[in-house]
Amino acid sequence: MNIYFHELKAYKNSTLIWTFSLIALVILFMSMFPSISRDVEVFKELMEGFPEAVRKALGLEIESFGTILGFYSYIFLYVTLFGAIQAMNIGTSIISKEVRDKTADFLLTKPVSRSKILTSKLMAALTTLIFTNVVYVVAASVIVSQVKTEAYSMKIFLMITLTLFFVQLIFLALGIIISVIVPKIKSVLTVSLGTVFTFYIIGLLTSTTGDESKRYLSPFQYFDTGYIIKNSSFETSFLLVGVGIVSVSLVTSYIIYTKKDIQAV
Amino acid sequence: MNVIEINNLTKTYGNARGITDLSFHVEEGEIFGFIGPNGAGKSTTIRTILSLIYPTGGSAKIFGKDCIDFAPEIAKEIGYLPSEVFYYDNMKVIDLLKYSASFYKKDCKKRMNELVEIMDLDITKKIDDLSLGNKKKVGIVQGLLHEPKLIILDEPTSGLDPLMQQRFFDLLLEENKKGATILFSSHILSEVQRLCDRVAIIKEGKIVTVEKISNLKENNYKKIKIETRNAVDRDYFNITGVNDLTFKDSTISFLFRGDINTVLKKIAEVDITNLWIEEPDLEEIFMHYYEKED
Repeated sequence: MNIYFHELKAYKNSTLIWTFSLIALVILFMSMFPSISRDVEVFKELMEGFPEAVRKALGLEIESFGTILGFYSYIFLYVTLFGAIQAMNIGTSIISKEVRDKTADFLLTKPVSRSKILTSKLMAALTTLIFTNVVYVVAASVIVSQVKTEAYSMKIFLMITLTLFFVQLIFLALGIIISVIVPKIKSVLTVSLGTVFTFYIIGLLTSTTGDESKRYLSPFQYFDTGYIIKNSSFETSFLLVGVGIVSVSLVTSYIIYTKKDIQAV
Repeated sequence: MNVIEINNLTKTYGNARGITDLSFHVEEGEIFGFIGPNGAGKSTTIRTILSLIYPTGGSAKIFGKDCIDFAPEIAKEIGYLPSEVFYYDNMKVIDLLKYSASFYKKDCKKRMNELVEIMDLDITKKIDDLSLGNKKKVGIVQGLLHEPKLIILDEPTSGLDPLMQQRFFDLLLEENKKGATILFSSHILSEVQRLCDRVAIIKEGKIVTVEKISNLKENNYKKIKIETRNAVDRDYFNITGVNDLTFKDSTISFLFRGDINTVLKKIAEVDITNLWIEEPDLEEIFMHYYEKED
C-alpha cells in the first residue's frame, strides 16, 4: 500500500488540474447551449453549408445538434480528447518517471516484487482516473440539468459520459506498454500528445469515409454517441476490442516489466 | 556460511562487454572488497545479484537463496547504496526516509534517528535542495535504517568529505561488528585496504584473483630494485614469482612473490652496486592486474 499512496500523492496536483480543466471545458461549452438551442434553425442552415465530410469529421449531427444530448455528445468529443491525454500522461509516466528521475534503483531494491510495484502503480493510476470521472460526472450532470430546455434521458447521458472512462482506460494501457517498452522517455508529454493526436486525427479521417471497419483504427471511434442515443446501448464489438486492447497491453506490460533489465544511470 | 555465492555468473549486452563466468563467495561477517578499474564489471555484478538486471548465464545466491527467484525476500535483509544516489526530488528528506522504512516490516524509527544524528543530516530539507554529499548521506541512512544483514556498497564514498567518510567507515565497522556482512565495491584502493578483509579483483569482466588483504600486503610481495655494474641479460630475472620487470639504464626493478631465497641467490650471482628491498604499496600490486595483458 505504501507505493500506492506514494503514487497517489505524486499525481495529486496534476489530477486536480486535469479534473478542473475538464469541468471548465464542459461548463464553457454547455453554457452556450441555451442560446444555440434558441437559434437552432440558423445553426442548422449554417451547418448544411459545410461539406458532409467536414461535418462528419467534426462530429456534427444536424438533426440532434439542437437537443441537449446531441449538443453534449458534440462537445464530449473534446472532453474525451482531453481525458485521453490525461490518461496517457499517467500511463506513460508510471514506469518512465522512475527511469527518468533515476529512482528505479531505490524502488527495485526494496523487498517488493516488480509485479507488485506495477500493480500498486496501476491501482493508483486507476484511482486518479476514477476520481476524475466521478467529479466530472457530477459536475457535468449539474450543468446539463441547469441548461436543459427539455427533458432528457439521464441513463443515456450517463452512458455517454461513461465512455470517457473507457477511452481513458485504453490510453492508460497504451501509455503503460509504451513506457515499459521504450528504454528511456525524455518527455512524457511529447509521447502522450503525439499518440493521442495521432489516434484523434485517424479518427477524424476514418469518420469521413463512413467505412465501419476503419473505426477500429482509433479508440476515439469506438463509442459512437449517435449509436448510444439511438439504441441506449454500446456497440458490443467495439467494447470487446477495447477490452482486448487493455488486457493485451497490461499483460504484455507485466511480462516485459518483470523480465526487464534496469540499466545503471 | 556464505552470504553471497556467485557461480559462473555471465551477463552480456549484445556485443558489449559485461561480465564473464564470474565466481566468488562472500562469507558471513566479513567485509569483502570488490575492486577494479571503471568499466570492469563491478556495477554489473552488483546489479545482477540485486536482480536489477538478469544474468545471461550462471547464478548467484544470497543467504543461500537464488537472487532472482527470491529477490523480494532477500531484499528485506539487504541495504544497498548505489554510486550515484537519486531520490524523489520533491520529497522532504524525512518523507523519503519514512517511505524507505515503510517497505520493511519492522520499526526502523529508532535506528533512523540515530543514523540521521551520526550523519548530521537535516531532515526537514527538500531532497532537491541538497548538495551531492548530503544526498549521499540520505542514501546511507536509507540503506542502513532497517539494520540489514548484508550491506552492498557500490563506490559509496564519492561526494563525501573526509570527515563524513571517516564517520561512514566507522558506521560500517560498527554494523560489521554487530554481524552485518559487507560487499564494498570501489576503484579506490586505500578505502578497500582500510576496511576489507578479503578482496576480489575484477578486470574486463573477469575475476583476476581473490585474496586476503593481509596476504597481498604483508607476506607475499617484495619490491626489489637493484643497480648493476654491467648489463644483465633481460631474461636473467624472468623467473616465476617476478612481476613488472623493468629495466632502466643500469637499474632493474620488479615485484617478487614467493621464496625470497631463490631471488636472493639470483641477485648474489650478479655484480651489483646497490640494492633496495621494500614492501610495495597495494597500488603497485594492483597495477599489474589492471594493466592489459596483450
